[in-house]
Amino acid sequence: MRLARPQFQMTGPPRRYFEEIEVGETYESPGRTVTETDIVLFAGVSGDYNVIHTDAEFMKTSIFGERIAHGLLGLSIQSGLLTRWMTPYASLGVAGLRWKFKNPIKIGDTIRVRAEVTGKKETSADQGVVTLARTVVNQRDEVVQEGETDVIVERRRE
Amino acid sequence: MSSPAVTYFEDVEVGSRHETPAMTVTQAHVNMYAGVTGDHAPEAGLAPPLFALCLSTGLGWRIARPPLVVIAFMGIDWKIERPLRVGDTVRSRSQTMVKRSMREAGVVVEEHQIVDQGGDVLQHGRFTFLVAKKEALT
Repeated sequence: MRLARPQFQMTGPPRRYFEEIEVGETYESPGRTVTETDIVLFAGVSGDYNVIHTDAEFMKTSIFGERIAHGLLGLSIQSGLLTRWMTPYASLGVAGLRWKFKNPIKIGDTIRVRAEVTGKKETSADQGVVTLARTVVNQRDEVVQEGETDVIVERRRE
Repeated sequence: MSSPAVTYFEDVEVGSRHETPAMTVTQAHVNMYAGVTGDHAPEAGLAPPLFALCLSTGLGWRIARPPLVVIAFMGIDWKIERPLRVGDTVRSRSQTMVKRSMREAGVVVEEHQIVDQGGDVLQHGRFTFLVAKKEALT
């Protein structure tokens, strides 16, 4: 009796190594609508109950006119959005970031992130750092956040 | 009715330091954070790197001091030195580095560190805030 050859190989999901990533590559994420629930849950997880995010009455009197999302919620959401949409890097983590909060994210705003690889640097025999410039925009294409992140990526073993 | 005590730009002291109580990071924190944000840990047993950064502001609220009247969080310059692991107990330290008066508000720069149970700095960097002035309100 002849056994059928397996039709597939058991491997992990595809991951891109340092060598495969090119300066100038661009990515765009899907959108995500930031809800009141997101802000309430993020206050609970982070412990940041600043009135800016939690006191609707007080915020009626502010320049924003209403509660706004935590800047760090926007930063975290864009990180999740981008990784949901691109073939993941063989990433070991993040080494650093330089980030600016340009405009508020309000309840009901839909944000997405555009990113471009702006730099690559080998840091050791088995890893390198890929710098991504990221722009987070809302439904009116206004920039709400922007900055750079340095992602640590594995080098392909020979 | 008296308003709760807050710190306006005029009362910010350059050089003042604060250290928060500590919190043990559990798998529940990581799961909730990942569920809310969609940002996941690079591998099992670790917390997503940005989660530690998010704790830096949250832990700050546990210090009994009048909070800064922040108009806007302007930016972050942040370095991640070591992974945050599930089970680590972290606290946040901060120091006011710079204050710069503008016309209607002021810019305040704070150095923040996330420190683990062994005293190692896991992440650190600078937060820049736009803070309200007392005189602008009158």
